Amino acid sequence: MKILVPLKRVADPDNANKVKIPADGSRIETTGLEWKPNPFDEYALEAALRLTEDGKAPKVRAGEVVVVTFGPAETDTTLRAALATGADRAIRVECKDEELDGLVVARALAKLVETEKPDLVLLGKQAVDGDTNQVGQILAELLDWPMATFAATIREEAGGLLVGREVDGGVYSVRVKFPAVVTGDLRIVNAQSVYSLKTDKAFKYADGVRFAALPAIMQARKKPLLVKKLAELAAGAPVARYLKYEAPPQRKAGIKVKDVDELVSRLKNEAKVL
Amino acid sequence: MREQCFMKAVFHGVLAEDVVFPFPELGAEERENLELMLDSVRRFLATKVDAAAIDKRHEIGAEVLAEAKALGLFGLQIAGEHGGLGLSATAYSRVMQEVGAHDASLAVTLGAHQSIGLKAILLYGTAEQKRRFLPSLASGERVAAFALTEPVAGSDAAAIKTRADLAPDGSHYVLNGSKLWITNGGFADVFTVFARTSDFETQKPKLTAFLVERGEGVRHGPNEHKLGIRGSSTTSVYFDDVKVPVANVVGEVGRGFRVAMEVLNSGRLGLAAGCTGSCRALVKLAVERVQERHAFGRRIGEFGLIKDKIALMLAQTYALESATYLTTGLVDAGVTDYSLESAICKVFGSETLWWVVNETLQIAAGIGYMGDYPYERMLRDARINLIFEGTNEILRCFIALAGMAGPGQKLAEVARAMREPIKGFGLLRDFAIGKARSMLVPERLTRAHPVLSREAVIVEEFTAILARHVENTLRKHGRDIAEMQYVQRRVADTAIDLYALSACIARATRAIEKHGEEGARRPIEWTRIFGALARKRLKHNADEFEANDDELRKESAARAYGDGGYVLDIL
Ligand SMILES: Cc1cc2nc3c(=O)[nH]c(=O)nc-3n(C[C@H](O)[C@H](O)[C@H](O)COP(=O)(O)OP(=O)(O)OC[C@H]3O[C@@H](n4cnc5c(N)ncnc54)[C@H](O)[C@@H]3O)c2cc1C
Repeated sequence: MKILVPLKRVADPDNANKVKIPADGSRIETTGLEWKPNPFDEYALEAALRLTEDGKAPKVRAGEVVVVTFGPAETDTTLRAALATGADRAIRVECKDEELDGLVVARALAKLVETEKPDLVLLGKQAVDGDTNQVGQILAELLDWPMATFAATIREEAGGLLVGREVDGGVYSVRVKFPAVVTGDLRIVNAQSVYSLKTDKAFKYADGVRFAALPAIMQARKKPLLVKKLAELAAGAPVARYLKYEAPPQRKAGIKVKDVDELVSRLKNEAKVL
Repeated sequence: MREQCFMKAVFHGVLAEDVVFPFPELGAEERENLELMLDSVRRFLATKVDAAAIDKRHEIGAEVLAEAKALGLFGLQIAGEHGGLGLSATAYSRVMQEVGAHDASLAVTLGAHQSIGLKAILLYGTAEQKRRFLPSLASGERVAAFALTEPVAGSDAAAIKTRADLAPDGSHYVLNGSKLWITNGGFADVFTVFARTSDFETQKPKLTAFLVERGEGVRHGPNEHKLGIRGSSTTSVYFDDVKVPVANVVGEVGRGFRVAMEVLNSGRLGLAAGCTGSCRALVKLAVERVQERHAFGRRIGEFGLIKDKIALMLAQTYALESATYLTTGLVDAGVTDYSLESAICKVFGSETLWWVVNETLQIAAGIGYMGDYPYERMLRDARINLIFEGTNEILRCFIALAGMAGPGQKLAEVARAMREPIKGFGLLRDFAIGKARSMLVPERLTRAHPVLSREAVIVEEFTAILARHVENTLRKHGRDIAEMQYVQRRVADTAIDLYALSACIARATRAIEKHGEEGARRPIEWTRIFGALARKRLKHNADEFEANDDELRKESAARAYGDGGYVLDIL
């Protein structure tokens, strides 16, 4: 199986308070931010690795995982991290952050799919910075491929996948035939979430994503990393223009009420929720 | 005169500023590799290494060690061709810092394996020895240990009784003796053993270093019960008629003392890095705690005395980190004699950590003392660093004597001067003559950023003072300096502060050049705080060069030996 996994770096979500907007609201200040791979993308990569191996012997790769990111040269780090954990090849689409939005990325990915011809594009359900949750869906539409979003489990079957999506009150199973687009949710990295045909159903993964052994990090430099131009992949695509950025309003301090009567009265008269 | 080695030049009153400016920096590729590696190491530590459980169980556990091996943590500095990662001193230390921040038992285990256990092979091994030993050590399939200490020979390493006799056919040595408190002793497969190869009755002690594989005649004792680093294995190791092939001599026959010292020189940097990691972890704990805990209706972090502790922790941790990575940077730049700098890092690192852990525990107060919280374990774990890889007393003597002995002199000779002051006389007198240069014009730190000129002046002023005192002392006392430990301590403490402050200034200067004064606010602030601290100590030591109660204290101690302790009572 050949899988394409798009990766995005995001400002460290644990340090979201470091995100600063200059007074004129023209942009988000990115200098000094620490970058991390988008967690959902890391989960998607982990799922892709599980689908291309026998869980008992992960060093023997069965299939190919190609990772792709969009950004300037320093985003190579994101790709190299993925190569170190087990991805086979990497592609960086050279561009600036301002040149991107969900539609541009989906178009460029669709174009890449033409040459890469993967059986599966496996994405995180959303990036935790913009939280737009749309690239996977737009991509499936552009490609006219079957799609399963928010996957919590994936079982490989002959010629396709059985994808479990968690919905209120149960699991909604979707069977997709290759080629397909799947976006992954948090639970995709649980111990028994993803099985390739090779992996024994009794096998249990360690929860969470795998991390690279240190020698693999050195070796990742030897794996192929191709750079493409955004213009070649998404020529003339319109891009959303952001007119102004604003930090969410500061929350006002709470108040203490004396008794239930005051609480009820305030809920009624001030909050107007009763 | 410009020396490669910064501190030895300082003893001459010379500030070889080109050695420390610009503060060393990693190249882009190494930096990225290191960031990715640290990410893996952090994930490994966070998910697999439970420091509290390791402390309680008194072992790290086979599974965790197996995972550490699979991750590559046992071959950090071994070259790629031998199956390791070939990390630079800086990258190695940075990884050890991360481990030290999380669990001292694991850090000590890894350090005993590769900071010292197998280091002799890296430094002195033949191509054949490297081929034979390194691949299995890099993968962790075999674990190494460093076996120097004996019941009668701790600090006084040259007094070891373990001996190795060459077999009549010259093919092997026969090793007999016992070693004490050997880290990894319970499971190591390869020991770097130091044994006497000269005749006990008729000859001066000559040591030789051997690579001894576990096998017939090699036994170890039970794991010692210890104050801290309880998860590390510390045992006696016994050698009974162990046949060691001649091919397993590492370094030259009779030059084992030098091998041991060089191994420890480089090992001390890993130790300092581990201390840096622990300090950083403690500062984090302290900063969190003081913002959580309330007393008198306020967060305790709002009280001046608590803020003071936090500020001093920050400044000292910064100074330690700067001194450590300045030194590893020098090593990576090819400076070969960094023995003074690494000894300084070891003493400064272990004492900074001891101070930081003590203050953090004080901030945590009651819960700091309780076994359910990490503070008391971290305090227990930190204590070892002042003792092993050369006690801080011995290293202070070393810093002073090696510094005073001037450039070019060998470590072993200095050690001999300490052991056998009479024989060391010639060397030290030569030095006194060689140093007959006047120190009228203090050297300047011209490359320090002007914002830090006050701190630069401290370095300049006290470097001149140190050089003057060293010269005066040597002129006046000559060989007797070997016995003058009070003076040695003053000299060493002065050297430590000068080095640490120089490192702070160089690093802050680089930060200002890169990020501007605003962006370099923290390093500037911390350099100032540390500079003021250092200045007080430097001044104190300088005053004591002139007037002190050394003799009074010595007499008092000597009298107590006769008294058998403290004999006064209020009755
Ligand atoms: C947990 C642990 C792990 C260890 N791991 C190893 C290991 O892996 N390999 C190994 O070889 N050793 C190891 N050691 C031994 C360690 O290096 C020694 O304990 C250390 O060198 C001090 O020796 P000592 O304990 O015999 O103290 P001593 O040498 O007896 O010293 C006692 C005191 O006297 C002071 N002193 C001694 N000589 C002088 C002097 N000339 N001037 C002033 N003061 C002096 C010392 O500083 C110290 O305060 C380990 C020790 C411990 C506790």
